[in-house]
Amino acid sequence: MLAEILLVARKDLRVEWRAKIALGQVAPLALLILVVLAFALDANSSLLELGAGGLYWVAVLYGGTLLIQRSFDVETDDGNMDAFRMSVIGAPSLFLGKSLALFVQIGLLELVLGSGVAVLYNVRVVDWGLLLVAAVAGTIAFSVCGVLWGVMSAGLRVRATLLPLLLVPVLVPILLAGSRAFETALGVRADAGWTWASLMLVIAAVHTAIGLGAFGFLLEEG
Amino acid sequence: MSEVATVVTGWGITFIVIATYSIWVVSRGKIIGQELGIGEMEQLDARKDAGATTDL
Amino acid sequence: MTSAIHGNAKMTATATTRVLGVLAIAATALMTVLGLLVSPADVIQGEAVRMLYIHVPSIWIAYGAFVLTSVSSVLFLRRRKRREDQGRHYDRLAGSAAEVGVVFTGITLVTGMLWGKVTWGTYWQWDARLTTTVLLFVTYLGYLALRRLPAEPIIRSRRAAVMALISFINVPIVHYSVDWWRTLHQKASLSVGRRPEITGEMYWTLLYSALTVTIVAAWLIIHRYRVIRLEELRDEEALAALISSRLKKDDGSN
Repeated sequence: MLAEILLVARKDLRVEWRAKIALGQVAPLALLILVVLAFALDANSSLLELGAGGLYWVAVLYGGTLLIQRSFDVETDDGNMDAFRMSVIGAPSLFLGKSLALFVQIGLLELVLGSGVAVLYNVRVVDWGLLLVAAVAGTIAFSVCGVLWGVMSAGLRVRATLLPLLLVPVLVPILLAGSRAFETALGVRADAGWTWASLMLVIAAVHTAIGLGAFGFLLEEG
Repeated sequence: MSEVATVVTGWGITFIVIATYSIWVVSRGKIIGQELGIGEMEQLDARKDAGATTDL
Repeated sequence: MTSAIHGNAKMTATATTRVLGVLAIAATALMTVLGLLVSPADVIQGEAVRMLYIHVPSIWIAYGAFVLTSVSSVLFLRRRKRREDQGRHYDRLAGSAAEVGVVFTGITLVTGMLWGKVTWGTYWQWDARLTTTVLLFVTYLGYLALRRLPAEPIIRSRRAAVMALISFINVPIVHYSVDWWRTLHQKASLSVGRRPEITGEMYWTLLYSALTVTIVAAWLIIHRYRVIRLEELRDEEALAALISSRLKKDDGSN
């Protein structure tokens, strides 16, 4: 099973590496969002420092949605979903493989955005461990939800507008918890950073379990 | 707004929403029913389509 | 067949639902009298308490409808291979309940905001229940959007059923995360095992309103269910007509 997961993930990442959409277009756009958010807050440096955690996750949401969209456009354009259905790779492996590929891509996006926030919003990390745990948990949740909703809107003509509408409400707890955890990690809020981070881990686990259970239904042919 | 005006507004909006929705549902049923040439719900049940045993 | 169209215009009605419909209208009339005239104003909330006779039952029925959607979706996913109609009546029930749930969630939000304006002095508070409710509203709007998309019906139904399940599992997660974030709302109006804070005539009016709203919602769900069935029938007939016209054309050319 592990071999299958890696196979699927490697395929997705190779496709992505050749097209370089994530690095070439999505990451710069997400950085631009950070700049625009600073405009919105009138580049008020104390506000930006206070809000850095939340603004970071808003930018991740924006860029992440584009990456998820992309991850399924690649499949449906080439009629790969049919190939997957017929292949011997099981639905759970397929789900985990695609999630892993998205995890890597969104993780890279977060590295870029993290550096952007550090420079542009002038933040200082006080708890690296918390920051890392929250980021990883948030990325897992983003990836698995992304694959679930991505396949749900795959192959539909209006998916560009449907995917964010379906995705954002389920990601709200992650955005909320991620923002609070980051605020603690960045030293602008004293309380409960680790509680929020553990909530994020729980949410990530729940959605992974749902995905493993439900992915088969979504791939089934009429 | 006074309390009474607010309460009347709230109830009024509710009634309008429910009435509009009901009329929409019923008239939509009527229009499609005519398209299909079915006049009564019972006649629909008489058709052999979708297993009607547990239908509402 | 066509003669029946002129005979009766009430397509989605049957004898039972006509009785239910009359009952709903009568119950609503009585609810209006009880809620707006007979029941007293609250000592603290004043006349604004009358909003709760709509607000509170609406959210109860909305949650009830979403539970119905989830249960039907589970049954749909489980029965899809065993029954000849692939369990589609469960899918219809899920869809109609979700739509009615969204209508009542919307009513809950509007009446709640109006109530908040006179009681708290603001339309919106970022507290757990308000925020959860607005997210619930958006989530099920997304569900309805998914159901409306042009796709093969059985695939679309299956995706919708999975989405309904995930959305429902997500409700407590959303609620508790927002609840941790901040809480500022009066306690639940009626709860099991605790003495209700609303008493006497107000209590009975609230219970009666809940019954009325349930009857109205049941009527709506049944009719919506039948309309969904008609929509499916129409789509199937259109498809069949298209196929047969294609076949004829092929015959002609050969």
